Amino acid sequence: MSAAPFGFFGKIIEIDLTGGDARVLPLDTALVADYLGGRGLATRLFYDAVDPQCDPLGPDNVVVIAASPLIGTTAPTSARGHMVFKSPLTGVIGTSNSGGGWGHTFKSAGYDALVIKGKADSPVWIDIAPGKIEVLPAHHLWGQDIHATNDELTSGFEAGSRPRALCIGPGGENLVLYAVVGNDKNRVYGRCGGGAVWGSKNLKAIRVQGKEKIQIHDKERYQSGYDQALYLLRQAPVTKRLMRELGTAGLVELINVINMLPHRNFQDCTHRPEDLERMSGETIAKTILEKAAGCYLCPIGCQRHTRIDGDDGSTQRGEGPEYETVVLMGPDCGIYDLAAITTANYRCNELGIDTISFGGTVACAMELGERGLLGAEKEGGLDLRFGAAAELEKLAVDTAHRRGAGALLAEGSYRLAERCGRADLSMTVKKLELPAYDPRASFTQALGYMTSPSGACHLRGGYAVSLAFFGGTKEIPRFSLLQSPIAIRNMQNTGILQDSLGVCRFTGYAFGSDPWSRMLTGVTGMDFSVFRLEEIENRVASLERLFNVEAGATAADDALPPRFAETPIVVAGEEKMVSEQAQERMRRDYYSVRGWDSEGRPTRALLEDLAIAPRAGRAS
Amino acid sequence: MTRRAWTLGEEILTLFRSIGRASLLYDIQDSHSGNMAVKIRGADGADMILITATGSQKGDLDPSQICFLSATETDYGYYKASSETDIHQRILAIPGAGASMHAHTKDLSIATMDDLPKPAQPADFIPIDPLGRKHLGDHVHVDWFAVPSGSPEMAALIPKRLEDHPATVIQGHGTFVRARTLTEAFFLQCVANNAGAVVRTARKLKVDVEALRLEIQADPAAHLAYLPDAFTIDDDACCDFPEETEILREFHKAGARVFESRLSPFQTGSMSVRGVHDILYAPKASMPRDLRSPLRRLPLRPAETDTGELARHKLIYAETDFQTIMHCWLPEAEAHSHFRYPGDEAVSDRIVPVDAEGTFMYLVIPVLPPDVDEESFLKKLHEYKVVVVRGGGVWAVGHQSLSEVLHHPSSVREICLYRIGAFEQGLDLRKMEPKKAKKW
Ligand code: SF4
Repeated sequence: MSAAPFGFFGKIIEIDLTGGDARVLPLDTALVADYLGGRGLATRLFYDAVDPQCDPLGPDNVVVIAASPLIGTTAPTSARGHMVFKSPLTGVIGTSNSGGGWGHTFKSAGYDALVIKGKADSPVWIDIAPGKIEVLPAHHLWGQDIHATNDELTSGFEAGSRPRALCIGPGGENLVLYAVVGNDKNRVYGRCGGGAVWGSKNLKAIRVQGKEKIQIHDKERYQSGYDQALYLLRQAPVTKRLMRELGTAGLVELINVINMLPHRNFQDCTHRPEDLERMSGETIAKTILEKAAGCYLCPIGCQRHTRIDGDDGSTQRGEGPEYETVVLMGPDCGIYDLAAITTANYRCNELGIDTISFGGTVACAMELGERGLLGAEKEGGLDLRFGAAAELEKLAVDTAHRRGAGALLAEGSYRLAERCGRADLSMTVKKLELPAYDPRASFTQALGYMTSPSGACHLRGGYAVSLAFFGGTKEIPRFSLLQSPIAIRNMQNTGILQDSLGVCRFTGYAFGSDPWSRMLTGVTGMDFSVFRLEEIENRVASLERLFNVEAGATAADDALPPRFAETPIVVAGEEKMVSEQAQERMRRDYYSVRGWDSEGRPTRALLEDLAIAPRAGRAS
Repeated sequence: MTRRAWTLGEEILTLFRSIGRASLLYDIQDSHSGNMAVKIRGADGADMILITATGSQKGDLDPSQICFLSATETDYGYYKASSETDIHQRILAIPGAGASMHAHTKDLSIATMDDLPKPAQPADFIPIDPLGRKHLGDHVHVDWFAVPSGSPEMAALIPKRLEDHPATVIQGHGTFVRARTLTEAFFLQCVANNAGAVVRTARKLKVDVEALRLEIQADPAAHLAYLPDAFTIDDDACCDFPEETEILREFHKAGARVFESRLSPFQTGSMSVRGVHDILYAPKASMPRDLRSPLRRLPLRPAETDTGELARHKLIYAETDFQTIMHCWLPEAEAHSHFRYPGDEAVSDRIVPVDAEGTFMYLVIPVLPPDVDEESFLKKLHEYKVVVVRGGGVWAVGHQSLSEVLHHPSSVREICLYRIGAFEQGLDLRKMEPKKAKKW
């Protein structure tokens, strides 16, 4: 065991909720050198601690949250913790992070990572501060929504020493399979159902507090990377203007221009411009926006603080809706009603469910309803049609509480569609609902969904659409089978790096790994050259895959729903779809690029090459 | 006098026009200067010459401005043809010659000027760049003529010079080249001018060009990373991946930009996009919009038949995650690779941006020695995405697209231009360079 490097405290907290025990373990520097922090480090710690075959909602599942060496510096957007767990929705790795400031405050408490095992007998919350780790009863918090829990745990402190809380709402408590974990009220670890895993462990919240400072090894080197990063963020149109002025919903009309905006459960991508205009980023800015804001250390500032005035004189306030929410709870459900989407979005945030999976599941239910495929499910109150805007808010509340139709929606679209005998109508990969970019409009994005470690996620699968529209010099062909496998591997790797640094995906609109490499090397004094970072990216990707394979995933899971191979959409006047053959070719080539075998399994030689050590006590 | 029908095939007219336009774009002609000629076999089986008309605008050639004349005798077309027709006729009589071209290669002409009292025999031009040395040889004759345009003296000497050299310089006027095809002739003109540009730019940077020439002549291998591939003449129309329409468009766009932005002379440099098993490869990256160059689909695994250039692309792909590569022979970078800061013994190992954009986009551009080992070359490429190899051109890599990788040599050119401009004005570059560049 070597000494902790600069940029780290060298401490991991391990809590076993079954016995309520907490201990602090040293963090091995070699682990930092090989896995960096955030997603990379959390994945390794998770892999070492968990049985891949475990029940995701049982006591054997493990939750790991890790910070990165950049957290605690001034590096732009570097405040994210990254959470890894086995997903109850997908059965494979759940991997997610969030803006807000919790990650930064956790590190300020003097720790680098947190491993949570076991299951408490009754609801608990965890309180962490320098020299203090306590597991406390949470009966008084159980049943409260995320906003109330957050207020309860973080108010009453002096300015400057205010703690931050990460918590679940009723969605997590009720084991909604896509429940989120929230912080700063509306920032969420959104995808894959981490909230349900917390709920299954009876874990309501983790409060953190502290002012510990990390040491920087070479300030000049750090500063040169920082200066460049800031310059580029202030120069790129997306980061300097679009996100600040219009938020992510600024993408609505732009994504429609490239025929990628889904409609009615991804049946097509056709919208009337005037319908979309009612819910565009500009309309949000002109009508419901109260102020724009940013996560901790963010110069971009895409947050939308909004307000909806009811006809009865009431006012509701909250954050969002974001692009994905607007589209998946909107046009994908045949809904073009901004107020209905926004209020439903408020409820999702408060009650703690993922708006992407919720929107995708409602859209699926609507299609099942329109096709007359809901049988017994109707008795549960589930009988929806596209365009049912008035139902949205209630559906969100019922889902979080698993009431009536909500109990069916809480299982996600795949299980719902499967119940109705039409699993093919669930727009999911690995049972995770697709984000709001139609894969038929970009083969690269299609392959990203197929091969994302966590299922159809644009953030883990590679944010190809960002290059399709805003790539600038990096813009790539959208329909190249030849380029897509390497292009998406490289985009996924960029995502792994950003997640392992604890920074926001949107920085990628302005720059790649070079400034991060300099900042990181400056902070730690370790060799985090671009070359080394690429090694880490590839290592993490193969470790995630290894876990998924051990959890039972196969090549057959790396596939799009049949709709995308059978029903074309029109892109720039041409019919486009992602045929089975195209998927097969891209999948095969992608495995080859990753160094996996023809079934998508990392080979022993690759694991050795990437220095992926077997789990302690096991041969790989 | 024989009379021939002046009927011009579409293909040859297009070629004349395209090369005429491209030579203007590349700034090796003025509005009416220069001339081009090709030898073809006529319908009667006799050789004939097609040559541009005297005073024609090379940027806008009409069919009537391509003259048809006998390769062996004075005929009707002769009187409209270039005033230097005699010279071309004799050049085209050299065995193997299929085309000749005269251009106002200003960079080379300026680089070969002297102030000796005339008449005097000027010194030969010694290229210091790999392209020049590979395609022009280790020296190019330079001759002074009392009447330096279309004179009998020129008609006597120039074809002689071109018997065993592809190019020769008329002092203060321009260059004549002998080639197999018109495309090759234009290529040679561009390479010749580029060689002049490297020397001129090096002089602006106070590089001791004469000392460098002596060193290179004594031990070329020590100063040149490697010599470029041989020039091919019969594969320009080849395209192995017409079905990859989007990528094809990217190649054409990037190739046109390389040429128009003078990042590499006509049909030099290379670029590629890799697939999982294949490499899509343009061995002649610099291609004007209407002049095509070969586009190959080749296996990614190394092959014995790989040229040195192609082998380097494959090496980079084998060892890295990059998806695109571009290699350019950028004269400003080649010249700058020999730069020494005033008072320094050693050649600088980096080009530090002093312009606003370059400063933020690039910490430094590494300059690697000609004998750089593979590992260091790859490591520097990884870290900086673009490097200059002294005597080896500019190499750049990208994760996604050709457009991404094109950005690098384009930026390097600008970075060099700012530095050269500042140095010419007597500014202290060290004072202008950001402090952060010391740690790289
Ligand atoms: S860009 Fe938006 S999501 Fe990203 S850090 Fe800034 S405010 Fe948060």
